[in-house]
Amino acid sequence: MTEVATAPADVVTGAGRAPRPHRGVQRYGRLVPFLFVAPVAIYLLVFFVYPLVFGVIMSLENFGFEAVIKGSGPFVGLQNYANSLSNGVTLRAIPNTAIFTVISIFFQFSIGMGMALILNKRFPLRGLFRALILIPWLLPLLASGTVFELIFQGKNGLANAVLMQLGIVNHPIYWLVNPITAFISIVLVNIWAGIPFNTLVLYSGLQDVPSELNEAALVDGANVFQRFFHVTIPSMRPVILIVLMLGIIYTVKTFDIVIVMTNGGPGNATQLLSTWAYNQGFSSFLFGDATAIGNILLVFCLIIAVFYVRISKRMIDA
Amino acid sequence: MHRRSLSWRIGRSALLIGICVVVIGIVVFPVYWALALALEKASLIFAATPHLFPAHPILANFRAAWRAESGSIGTSVVIACGVVILTIAVAVPAAYGLIRYSFRATAVVVLALLVAQMIPGISLSLSFYSMFHDVGLLNSRLGLILADSTYAVPFAVLVLRAYMGSISTELFDAADVDGAGPMRSFWSVGLPLAIPGIITASLFSFVFAWGDFLFAFTLTNSSTVQPLTLGLYKFVGTYGSDWGPIMATVVLAAIPSGIMLALAQRWVVGGLRAGALKG
Repeated sequence: MTEVATAPADVVTGAGRAPRPHRGVQRYGRLVPFLFVAPVAIYLLVFFVYPLVFGVIMSLENFGFEAVIKGSGPFVGLQNYANSLSNGVTLRAIPNTAIFTVISIFFQFSIGMGMALILNKRFPLRGLFRALILIPWLLPLLASGTVFELIFQGKNGLANAVLMQLGIVNHPIYWLVNPITAFISIVLVNIWAGIPFNTLVLYSGLQDVPSELNEAALVDGANVFQRFFHVTIPSMRPVILIVLMLGIIYTVKTFDIVIVMTNGGPGNATQLLSTWAYNQGFSSFLFGDATAIGNILLVFCLIIAVFYVRISKRMIDA
Repeated sequence: MHRRSLSWRIGRSALLIGICVVVIGIVVFPVYWALALALEKASLIFAATPHLFPAHPILANFRAAWRAESGSIGTSVVIACGVVILTIAVAVPAAYGLIRYSFRATAVVVLALLVAQMIPGISLSLSFYSMFHDVGLLNSRLGLILADSTYAVPFAVLVLRAYMGSISTELFDAADVDGAGPMRSFWSVGLPLAIPGIITASLFSFVFAWGDFLFAFTLTNSSTVQPLTLGLYKFVGTYGSDWGPIMATVVLAAIPSGIMLALAQRWVVGGLRAGALKG
């Protein structure tokens, strides 16, 4: 559940309160605040800044197994990037990652928004449903992937059993063996894994839509759809943007589900940038190429992060 | 609002419940299915017509899972506890400092924490592999504690900062007026008031570390240090057809988050929401 569950708190963070000025600053000088913040600053330098800088250096070197032992390899400039971007698998992993992300986010968000709107209505059992929708968070993503691997088993899996019982298919589908159905399978699992996050955060956002606005629109004779598009959506704009951006980031770095279900196969049909970077690094020991691929993914995440930070700021200022 | 007829309201409720049953049924089903198979006899797991309920639930799969994975569970518990301790030790003072003292560097730290949450684990793990190799942290619990803490520390600081921001400033100011030094204010005022936030952050940190697969997969290459996720992955590889014990292991892997969701729903969901979107 790790990746998915991080999310609600990210939203928290987005809207954390702005620090207030305190008298303590004047009274004790500037040293004391640093003592409180110094450990986390050092932590960030050691566990984030240094590894990222080191990743850039590795991506510019011929970084094989000996380089790992020595700590550095021969400088090759942008060779690893050139190699990776002309490698057929990378050229497959990039569109795979893009398609995987777009389809996943579209369905996660639509289903999440639908469920949030429904759970925001008053009806019996609503509290139970609201609790049950968090159930996917019980499992670590790797464990979820394991369960789905069984469900999508070729011969005897549950997916086939259900489809055949219902008469939708005559022959079992080899879900994880056929390139197209394998890709569909990992997308389905990722959508499933993202529903709790999208529902929970959008539901929270709905609580902030001023009810007077909705009532006013109702008095003016606006129907359900008009109210949704002209009242709900505009009032929830920042929350929607944050959900979408966090969703994109979490989806674009999906790893566990794919490794356990397909390991990028069959024939790289489900190879994503993250799994391809893994395979180049830890299976082929081409750390230079792997970090080059990883950095392509990283740059994409950082671009989204910039938008995320700007929107969070605007939310705080508002 | 105008009043509607009783039958309109019953019909509306039935429709909403119907949609929820279908969607939430699909959402919940895989987890239920893991539990059902964990209680099922091996010979029935791949029956042509799957049984939705195990007719004669058995515990043999759990016994097999425990025999195979108890060591991994112990390793995961040690690593997750280590992550909680490290995270709280770093995050609590940081959150306090960030909320009480405002200067240019605090904004930089907050920004860095936000961005840190967005960095793909695979990018970190490629660097960690080489870094940890140099200092002998590959295949070690400490190495995984340090790596897994990257999930937890930025998150915990930001949650605790939001939480402490909701504590009335007057309390801190009163402590200042009473002559308490900054350390005294922190220990005697900030820390006790932040305890619910610290519990939330600890639970999340534990669950993040417990659920980690990527770092375990990349920063270990022997069976000496093998957290539960990695144990499960290898279990599937080694005993690929033995799905009963595998599903029992899945159920065991759900226990920490289960406890968290059960115990802390009020804090986790309510608390996060209060701190979260209402800024």
